[in-house]
Amino acid sequence: MTLTSSSTASRPLARDRAAGRAPRRRARWPLAVLLAVLSVLTVAPFLAMLIVALSPAGQPTLPARWPETLTLDNLTRVLSASGFVEWTVNSLVYSVVSVVVILLTASMAGYAFAKKRFPGRDTMFWTFLATMMVPFQATLIPTFVLVNSLDGVDTFWGLIVPTLANSQAVFLMRQFIMGLPDELFDAAKVDGASELRVYLTIVVPLTRPIMATLGVFVFLWHWNDFLWPLVVGQSDATRTLTVGLTTLRTEEMQLSMLMASATISVIPCLLVFFLLQRYLVNSIAMTGFK
Amino acid sequence: MRHRLRDPVTGLLFVLPVFVLFLIFRIFPSLGAAGMSLTNWNIGGEWSFVGADNYARLLGDVNFWLSLRVSLVYAAIYVPLTVLVALGTALLLNQVVFMRGLFRGMLFLPYVTSFVLAGIVWRWIYEFDGLINGLIGKLGLGPVAFLEQASLVLPALAVVSVWKGFGYSMLILLAGLKSIPASYLEAATVDGAGAWQKFRRITLPLLKPTLFFVLVIETISAFQVFDTIYVMTGGGPARATYTLIYGIYDHGFRSFDFGYAATWGVVLFAIVLAVSLIQRRFLDRGNT
Repeated sequence: MTLTSSSTASRPLARDRAAGRAPRRRARWPLAVLLAVLSVLTVAPFLAMLIVALSPAGQPTLPARWPETLTLDNLTRVLSASGFVEWTVNSLVYSVVSVVVILLTASMAGYAFAKKRFPGRDTMFWTFLATMMVPFQATLIPTFVLVNSLDGVDTFWGLIVPTLANSQAVFLMRQFIMGLPDELFDAAKVDGASELRVYLTIVVPLTRPIMATLGVFVFLWHWNDFLWPLVVGQSDATRTLTVGLTTLRTEEMQLSMLMASATISVIPCLLVFFLLQRYLVNSIAMTGFK
Repeated sequence: MRHRLRDPVTGLLFVLPVFVLFLIFRIFPSLGAAGMSLTNWNIGGEWSFVGADNYARLLGDVNFWLSLRVSLVYAAIYVPLTVLVALGTALLLNQVVFMRGLFRGMLFLPYVTSFVLAGIVWRWIYEFDGLINGLIGKLGLGPVAFLEQASLVLPALAVVSVWKGFGYSMLILLAGLKSIPASYLEAATVDGAGAWQKFRRITLPLLKPTLFFVLVIETISAFQVFDTIYVMTGGGPARATYTLIYGIYDHGFRSFDFGYAATWGVVLFAIVLAVSLIQRRFLDRGNT
């Protein structure tokens, strides 16, 4: 009795499901297939690059046929080729120094712009923002002439320092710190904490999430940067990996070696991507950061 | 009382490093660009004031008009294409629940890599013995000279940039789609609206501000394309990919004609500024 009643009670539900939900699900699986196809197409160039990079030298590979065996030979040969390791180290220096300095200076400035009163504060802040409107390429020539006149061409400081004035970083830090309650800072002052102490014990720990996000972006911008390193890094001593890669020509180099070089250059980006994807995705969605 | 005095001094001290960097490497070169465009500055650092000569030369320079045309045609191909791909994938990601995180990651992946890498990989993809020609060759088609033919090279380059960059706009649009209240769409479903009607009457109007933001960002980035051109075509064939930025690089670092190259830079700035101002106007009108 109870059984039949429960089964009749569930029948309308089942009918509901059949009428309402199932068609929607039926309508959606082609979309999932389409999405899967597009996703695979998007990563296909990377997979093709990887397969060629892992193909034994001198043997047929894509697109003619699938390689019969895979090897790490190309990767190790690239790493022992002259220049390549140097470029990689240069790129690391360029990216890591920039991350450290930009995080430090932008968080200091962001704190001052958000929580301090000083003459010219707003004028200064809006002037910084206005420079965002000037594309870097438009000031490429005067920046180069300036660095050249200071003997900075083909030096590390000439490569790095001009890229440290980052208005997006200052803006983001200011916006974030403005959201922190004033009481925190007032309380510290009442306790007689020095400004440096306030910065180190309040600003730095509380801005950790935004620092992480900003750090990831600054790293990617610099690791992937090209035009400025191209004109400033004129020898292997200061040449970054992106610029170094463009000096490798297919005429002088086997395709598998070129793809192996490209593969190695993308590893840091992939590491950042797999470890910090959530940060990247959320911050783009929330701040329109590019 | 002590705090009031302390505040301005520490405030200035905290801003000082950024202020110095900006003054020297952003503000000074921005003004310098305008100044240099009025000189015949050369590689040796010698210069004299030439007034508007560079601008007169620019207006009479066939290659300038050609490069402006290349930049505009490229933008006209790239911007709609990237917005469509970004919108399409964002809509799909918004609908499909199955393995959404994985697909989103795969679609976003090219964004974290460099344009140089994109250029190197896609140069091979487009080559005569490259990936695409190898694949269509098996079907008995081709080979197609993607990068050697003036009519194909800009679309081919636009595809590379779309592939590399659409993930960014996709995420922005996806956030915009998520902010549309589900109740609106449910109400429309109850009223018997179809998928297209719901998209046309609810999703699209509510997504308009986000779509506009993406449109402006992508238009500006269309005018800034350089790395892939440097790697894949070097401005060719026959200047078919000689964009404004390529002109700045070419005049500056191949001919070392710094004064004239700075003039090209000023034009680039004017275009980017115009795009931003037009956007402002549209947005203001949208708000009132």
